[in-house]
Amino acid sequence: MKRPDRLSIGGLACLLVLVVFALGSLAGAGGDPDAIVGPRLQPPGPGWWLGTDNLGRSMVPRVMEGVGTTLLLSSLAVLVTAAVSATFGIIAGYRGGYLNELVMRLVEVLYSFPAIVLAILVAAVLGPGQVAASASIVLVTIPLMTRLVRAAAVAVSQRDYVTSAVISGARLPRVLGRHVLPNVAGTIAVQGTYALSVGIAVEGGLSFLGFGVQPPQASLGVLIQQGGTYMIAAPWLILGPGVVLVAAILSINVVGDGLRDQLEPRETRSLT
Amino acid sequence: MTGTRAILELDDVTVTFTAGPPLRRIRLNAMMHVSLSVARGETLGLVGESGSGKTTTSRVALGLHRPTGGAVRFDGRPFPRRRRELAGRMQAVLQHPHWSLNPRMRVGQSVAEPLAVLGRPVGDLVTEMLGHVGLEESFATRYPHELSGGQRQRVSIARALVTRPDFIVFDEAVSALDVSVQVQILNLIRDLQEEYGFSALFISHDLGAVRYVADRIAVMRAGEVVETADTATFYTAPAHEYSRQLLEAL
Repeated sequence: MKRPDRLSIGGLACLLVLVVFALGSLAGAGGDPDAIVGPRLQPPGPGWWLGTDNLGRSMVPRVMEGVGTTLLLSSLAVLVTAAVSATFGIIAGYRGGYLNELVMRLVEVLYSFPAIVLAILVAAVLGPGQVAASASIVLVTIPLMTRLVRAAAVAVSQRDYVTSAVISGARLPRVLGRHVLPNVAGTIAVQGTYALSVGIAVEGGLSFLGFGVQPPQASLGVLIQQGGTYMIAAPWLILGPGVVLVAAILSINVVGDGLRDQLEPRETRSLT
Repeated sequence: MTGTRAILELDDVTVTFTAGPPLRRIRLNAMMHVSLSVARGETLGLVGESGSGKTTTSRVALGLHRPTGGAVRFDGRPFPRRRRELAGRMQAVLQHPHWSLNPRMRVGQSVAEPLAVLGRPVGDLVTEMLGHVGLEESFATRYPHELSGGQRQRVSIARALVTRPDFIVFDEAVSALDVSVQVQILNLIRDLQEEYGFSALFISHDLGAVRYVADRIAVMRAGEVVETADTATFYTAPAHEYSRQLLEAL
């Protein structure tokens, strides 16, 4: 196994910093995100290093809380995606036939919706909020992950050790759990990181449109939306969360690339 | 057969694959009216060029593929509907050394798997089997990528033998190996067969390798068995025109 390159180490470091920020916010570091600390729309200065928003709240704790909300929401959604995609992708890839056709056609229907349209549809059905945002991320990320897991499972299923296990009389759970799953786990991990960055973007988009996380709770999308309103008068409001959003997505993608080079040199491809 | 009951019999087996959309469906006869039998303790060599139906024959013999027509009997009885009933009684050593072992499992786990599937105790059997195929005990804790191609095929053979099966299919088991390693593995197969007395179906496109291990030889061409003969007879006086061509090309 070759050593990870500097870029992905840097990405990982950046991601860890963001996670520390998010955890710090939970521990109360940086102050109360809802507390009013000074005059409205102040530029960055002592006491409010990223400025204050339209209600006079310091942006520092708000961005920290926002990162936490966004990361937590996306991570949970991606875990659900990984579980669902792994199950259906592996079964479809191993069994083939009608089951495979059914799963793939369903996934293609989902895939045919533009991400944000699907997300708005979900928000309209479930009502705006965190549940809708999470469900949207799951629905948006399932198609690609399922397809790629299936493709990997098809390849693995044809390998001789799977045939040998079947000849030895191994039952389906054993064949799938012991032989197929561990050998597609790399694909799942790599696609999981890409799905996470897509998840962050979807959360940002939905909250920006007002269908996702609801104020006063902060998420990156909520903060960017609020910042956008005052972009001329107080451009620093959009700068903080915007930079953090870009950093989060970029570092996750870089980590994903590094992970792919480590685990699956030839078998997977990036999302967009 | 010489009085002994055949362990595996293929009786007039036909396998037809279909592909393509309805109305323009393509039919391919991978096996046409194939009759073969393998007696207890015997090795039947199956030779033929690529696409002649060798691998389909092995899949049918292993119960991985249900024939379109004809009957398969194992130990005198029709093949059970659920192939698990034969678990442990037949095993296989397959083609690619690279993919014969699960890269995420230690060698010892791979060798023990057929026992685990049957719920039998493993005990010292893994060490014992590794010893039988000429590998040290320490191999049990290694991963497949730490092994050479020949060592991996030895592990595959150990895994196939661990349940003491009546019947083993070697599907191109030595074809991907270096010639010197091939000879070692072929010797190993012969020695183990003497010791364990299993029957074998040895499939290969390599007539030299088959001659080394097989008691009788069947030649396949385009899904049909064109000749079956004792090894000695086959190599000195092949009856069928195609067999002669194969031997001349050797």
